[in-house]
Amino acid sequence: MNDALKKKLAERYQRELDRGERFWPDSLYKDVLVSLGLFLLLVLLATFIGVPVEPKADPSDTTYVPRPEWYFLFLFKFLALYGTIPVVGQIEWIATMVIPGAIILALMLTPFIDNSPNRYYSKRVLPLSLIALLVVQSITLTLIGDTPTVSEDGSHTIGVIQTVGNLLIPLLGLIVLFLLAYAFKVRRTRVMIWTTGLTAVLMVAFTGVALGLAPAPETSETEVATTLTDQIAAGQDLYSIDCVECHGEDGKVTTITGVEGLEGKQISAIDGHDVLYTLDDPSLAEVMAYGRPDAGMPPFGKAYNPEGLTMSEIGYIVTFMRYTWDDRFEAPPVKPLFPALAEGEVPSYDVHIQPIVKRYCISCHRPGKSNNNYLMTTYDEILTTGDNKDKDVIAGDPNSYLLQVIQGHEIMDPNDPSKVLIRTMPPNSTLKPDVVDVFVRWVEAGMPETAEEAAKLSTTTTTGGASTTTAVTSAP
Amino acid sequence: MWSRVYTWLDERLDLRGLYRNTLDRPEPRGSWWNTLGSATLFLFIVQVLTGIFLATYYTPSPDHAYDSITYIMTDVRFGWLIRGIHHWAATLMVLLVFVHMVRVFVTASFKYPRELTWLVGIGLLLLTFAAGFTGYLLPWTQRSYWATTVGTQIAGTVPFIGPFILKVLRGGTDLSALTLQRFFSAHIWMLPALIAGLIVIHLYLIIKQGESYWPRKED
Repeated sequence: MNDALKKKLAERYQRELDRGERFWPDSLYKDVLVSLGLFLLLVLLATFIGVPVEPKADPSDTTYVPRPEWYFLFLFKFLALYGTIPVVGQIEWIATMVIPGAIILALMLTPFIDNSPNRYYSKRVLPLSLIALLVVQSITLTLIGDTPTVSEDGSHTIGVIQTVGNLLIPLLGLIVLFLLAYAFKVRRTRVMIWTTGLTAVLMVAFTGVALGLAPAPETSETEVATTLTDQIAAGQDLYSIDCVECHGEDGKVTTITGVEGLEGKQISAIDGHDVLYTLDDPSLAEVMAYGRPDAGMPPFGKAYNPEGLTMSEIGYIVTFMRYTWDDRFEAPPVKPLFPALAEGEVPSYDVHIQPIVKRYCISCHRPGKSNNNYLMTTYDEILTTGDNKDKDVIAGDPNSYLLQVIQGHEIMDPNDPSKVLIRTMPPNSTLKPDVVDVFVRWVEAGMPETAEEAAKLSTTTTTGGASTTTAVTSAP
Repeated sequence: MWSRVYTWLDERLDLRGLYRNTLDRPEPRGSWWNTLGSATLFLFIVQVLTGIFLATYYTPSPDHAYDSITYIMTDVRFGWLIRGIHHWAATLMVLLVFVHMVRVFVTASFKYPRELTWLVGIGLLLLTFAAGFTGYLLPWTQRSYWATTVGTQIAGTVPFIGPFILKVLRGGTDLSALTLQRFFSAHIWMLPALIAGLIVIHLYLIIKQGESYWPRKED
């Protein structure tokens, strides 16, 4: 760039200044307005969308599928697609270093590469075409950032579509543009614009097809408890399923019964000072994760047991134990397990039985445990499974086995009266009278499943949780 | 009375000179596209301010990071708002800095004599991405942890010096408390200092050379 040109540019700039405006106030007011608008937008976003709650990091959980923040998805996807190219795709550093590095270098050196004095759009068709393709490429790669390259049935079609649309077509477009710019110089402007447009349209089309073919994303909802009450409730639920069969639902068990391989084993009561005063939270968590091999406790942490619990979940159980059984900690008010029953009210499975069964029964009465094949994880299972299914739950019959065993009567084998068929339930403790009452009313009324069905059978007009009802029929 | 206060300050700070040099400047006619740069600067200032408030409650250790953020969200007055703004301003800042770069490219404002401004701008772009990357690990969620594992893994694929870069980033061979600590240090000190420094150079150049003009057919 010679001095004459520089002088010309300086004069040109002065002409623009002469017919221009002033920074203050003409330009600055626009800046302030935009800033205020952005601030308002930020407050609205923070208030109405907020930040999604995610579970705590669990270094031992290798099943987690990582995803970067959205503004890195384009790079993430580019690496994935590059890896599908045969032969060259195996050389990782070309995609992680060479190509991104080249693009960044090209961006940095733009003023020195595109160093002609031309600024008007029609004189800069090649650079404008290139930046247009870069922008479209960034957008399409980001859009398919989460889309898998292999579909559920194992076919690679969707991956091929993505690779063609986001690697092959842009590359071809680029080559054609450079050929047009430097090899063929006749009327290149319009042809180049058409080339760019066509490339962009094809990229968007292929991306659209890939998105359309993509399987619905598997959204696994992980419950993340934030407040202390939520954490205790989450810990309580996990404890009910995983720990009750050995430790009892109040932690008081000292001799294990009913567990295969550990029958009669002596353990420390985990609700007492021996355990809670001598082990701090990290130690408790470690015991749960690693287990106590000599004492017979299996590992529950994902690092030692692939089907185990995450560190977050173990943390919730520790919190539950700490606030429920450690007398140095005051538990926050916890909502009751089920709404109290009013006079004449009939409980339902959905509202009353399900939470009770989840808390006290499922630890043993789920697949894979010693339970006479009687499963209780769903409404149908409670009514229809088990070795004694004809007699377990009979509508209207107070002698149903279920009702008998929870009220302290063992069921003896009808063929051999000295042999116990079913022990009292729960094996290591006794249900409180109000819980027993829920079961009794439920079976006698015919085991209604939903709150509406139960309300129809209730003889009360006020409710403690079921929907209001005007039906007045006496219980059968 | 206020004029006397103003005169006292003006004598010592040269407020009039400041006004003349920074605010009372002629410039070519601009459009709303020209607000993108200042909008990005505004977002950076928002990030610094919200970040400072977050840093009074956040603990950069794997044992406490997640819980300290839960505390900010649930128990600190307006903590949810400050954290929410910080989260969304990060997204908007990356978006705006990219759009600003594309606008400057399209209007060829990077040409003589503004090549340095462009170079500094690309540096700012890269630093913004780096700030996003380091900031993302700090909540220590599953996503943070594993996204950083993959990200540093990618950095480690560079031939020859890759393993060294990976160890510098992670503070070892695996992600650990050291990683969180150095990402925190980078995110609240190193990167903001570099970004602020580059912004000063960027603004100095813009004020010194004057804002560029929208190209016309003759250019």
